[in-house]
Amino acid sequence: MKELTAFHDAANCKTPEQLNISKKIIGYMCSYVPEELIHAAGFHPMRLFSSKSDIVLAENHLQAYCCSPVRGVLENSLSGRLDFLSGAVFPHTCDSIQRLSDIWRMNNRYEFFWDVVWPAKLNTQSALTYMKDVLIKFRQDLENACGTSISDETLHDSILTYNTIRKKLSRIYELNAQNPGILNACDLLAIVKGTMIMDRDTAAMLLNTIVDQLEKKQPPDKPVKRIIIAGGICDSPDVYTIIEAAGGCVVADDLCTGQRWFKELTDETTDPISALVKRYSQRLPCPAKHNGLTKRGDHLVQLCQTHKADGIVFMLLKFCDPHGFDYPYLKETLDKHHIKSILCELDDQQQNSGQLSTRIETFIHMI
Amino acid sequence: MIYAGIDIGSITAKAALIKDNTLVDTLIIRTGYNHLDAGKAVLQTLLEKNNLTRNDVKAIVSTGYGRNSIDFADKALTEIICHAAGAHFISPGIRGVIDVGGQDSKAILINENGQMDNFAMNDKCAAGTGRFLEVMANALDVQLDQLGEYSLKADKPAKISSICTVFAESEVISMIANQEKRENIIAGIHDSAAARVAILASKTHLAAPVMMTGGVAKNQGMRKALEARLGFDLIVGHLAQENGAIGAAVLASRL
Repeated sequence: MKELTAFHDAANCKTPEQLNISKKIIGYMCSYVPEELIHAAGFHPMRLFSSKSDIVLAENHLQAYCCSPVRGVLENSLSGRLDFLSGAVFPHTCDSIQRLSDIWRMNNRYEFFWDVVWPAKLNTQSALTYMKDVLIKFRQDLENACGTSISDETLHDSILTYNTIRKKLSRIYELNAQNPGILNACDLLAIVKGTMIMDRDTAAMLLNTIVDQLEKKQPPDKPVKRIIIAGGICDSPDVYTIIEAAGGCVVADDLCTGQRWFKELTDETTDPISALVKRYSQRLPCPAKHNGLTKRGDHLVQLCQTHKADGIVFMLLKFCDPHGFDYPYLKETLDKHHIKSILCELDDQQQNSGQLSTRIETFIHMI
Repeated sequence: MIYAGIDIGSITAKAALIKDNTLVDTLIIRTGYNHLDAGKAVLQTLLEKNNLTRNDVKAIVSTGYGRNSIDFADKALTEIICHAAGAHFISPGIRGVIDVGGQDSKAILINENGQMDNFAMNDKCAAGTGRFLEVMANALDVQLDQLGEYSLKADKPAKISSICTVFAESEVISMIANQEKRENIIAGIHDSAAARVAILASKTHLAAPVMMTGGVAKNQGMRKALEARLGFDLIVGHLAQENGAIGAAVLASRL
């Protein structure tokens, strides 16, 4: 499929010029950023991923126990590799992102900077009222930055674009789960990652074509073990390749760089700000947020059951405290339901895939 | 018909042959730089030793760190799978395996049918592995195979607090500078490595009877330290180091 090239190009960090992005670019690094508002303001929201280069400059600002994406994004910024950005937005999620936000602001390298200070607990009436105020404030900040007002109609159009992207990505996952192997694992990762980087209107159009082609594609006649990946950020094609080489197929995920980013749609029938509050408060939470004591555990069990998964691979970033704290209860929940799982920790800069492949191959053989 | 297993570890390469579900022979050589050459050499030497040729071998399974380099094997399987199969072949009543090799340590839970139920493996770091002991043996100017003997003579085992191999080596060097008894330092080193392996055993809920395999199983001091941490005795066969290759040969016979 020639459409995949655009996603691979975007995922492999081509420059904005090579990606034909002419708008001002706003970076973000968490799926709790209300991208629809950035898009409606006429900016281009671009997800930032870890650096593939050595971490040198960021060492002066961060403790050794910070996760690799936070260190990597700061390194990219300080070394000038993100000079194409006009600004960045930081949601109030994990401690490391909050501290990165402070360092980022104090280094003052870009035209715009915003914090979107969501509450930690999302399932109370006061949280909803607060979230609405946060979004209204963010909308005003964006309006000041772009020099024009963001009308409800423009915001509604952005919501439609994002809903199209989410529907298409969900359909691609659904088709891959129904016919494991119609997409190779690296293509699946590139599609999701590339969408977070490339022009969203182009992405929506290309995703539509990919869905059309996948609808007609026959899966390879090869039995596979059905695997779900869970965790935070998984930006390593190696992980997907190892799973595939061991006879597995990723049929779903619970990742910030996966289905947590695109799964729920925004209501298109109510006023856009309320609709966004509803989506971001009700979407599947990451461990830095709360909207029910067992919501993630229940979701993982249901995901396994609906996708007839053989097992779950937890891919946690080293030093990611929120996911580390969430893991024991998730493991206990899965054990109660006799769902096999394995925990792997990785670092974005990690090159040694030998031990990881031994673990994953053994796990897939065992389940 | 003969079935062969080849285990390419980070330090040694092992081969095993089985015939009619009975072990024929095993061999250990140094791995060296080239995994494929080591695999060819260990199998060829073992076959010649038993007056056999490659034509007598019906199937080969490779395992270990260099398993994917053995291009003439019929299948490559991880060492965890092979150690479980090898331990169950040697002692069918076994319910767990602790394999401490040159680069990795693993705890494997085996069910009553001999199938692997769960496993845990050390992380990227070398704490609790053969390499950790090798580094310490160098720092203490002791042969690796003498570590066990020394530690059994300890009267007051030292406490090594660092988990990291490099930091632990610095700690050991400080102890040498303070003229701490070598035997006590070595006993402390074994306890430190055993603590890391015991964490893996705890994660997998291992319970006796458990077999210890891998090259480090030959080290009595390490075994004693581990038994003290686990609270039960470990079964160590005379083919502990070759166990992965034996398991690979067993699995080759099932291809």
